[in-house]
Amino acid sequence: RQELYRLPESSQPLFTAGQRFFSSASVRKEMSGESSPSDDKVHLTESCVKRLSEIMEKGEYLRIQVEGGGCSGFQYKFSVDCNKNEEDRVFEQAGVGIIVDQESLEFVKGSTVDFSQELIRSTFQVLKNPQADHGCSCGSSFSVKL
Amino acid sequence: VNKRKLLPTRAALTLTPTAVSKIRLLLQEKPEYIGLKVGVRTRGCNGLTYTLEYTMDKEKSDEEVLQDGVRVFIEKKAQLTLLGTEMDFVESKLSSEFIFNNPNIKGTCGCGESFNI
Repeated sequence: RQELYRLPESSQPLFTAGQRFFSSASVRKEMSGESSPSDDKVHLTESCVKRLSEIMEKGEYLRIQVEGGGCSGFQYKFSVDCNKNEEDRVFEQAGVGIIVDQESLEFVKGSTVDFSQELIRSTFQVLKNPQADHGCSCGSSFSVKL
Repeated sequence: VNKRKLLPTRAALTLTPTAVSKIRLLLQEKPEYIGLKVGVRTRGCNGLTYTLEYTMDKEKSDEEVLQDGVRVFIEKKAQLTLLGTEMDFVESKLSSEFIFNNPNIKGTCGCGESFNI
């Protein structure tokens, strides 16, 4: 019986395909630096790393998903997950990690995940998303640049 | 003649027990402040958003809410907006926040931060 293989998403622009291979293969451990627009990694801020190391048990990851919804069309969803699926990408830094599935990564690549602490609320946020056009002030919803 | 007129008063803002204990904890860590101040600001996709900050003194126009030993002040601008609101504190592994269950609002944003009246 012939096995069917899933082809990579065709929405991936050709010119980043090479870099994607490169960054996932060898530079994954690299600490976050300045992000270029075609960067397909997700960066973690210091406060995000600190908070994750406080709350996460061993083997637990922060999963970021992008879903349709919210006032601007798309919204981020955060959850705790200890299962890595095949299509997931893991971004690790200083012993903590976040998981982004391939589909969501198309919407969040190049952005920075932060843990913002304010008096009124403390929560994880996706910042500086190069794909997002303008979002809601709360930062949980955004629309995509066309 | 008894001139005293008994008027019903209701606290402009009520606090849930979790909110009380969280505020108490916050104020214990920062004893230089006397309470928290709630306000509203024009911002967000639905018009208004709540603000929360520490305060050192009570301004003349502030409405004071004293409940179970913690003090919350409401900015003048926010008093009408917040009337009858319940302030709650919700904590989960990934986030913790004060939320306002406001009976006056007509609509909110999906994130729950922005609302209109």
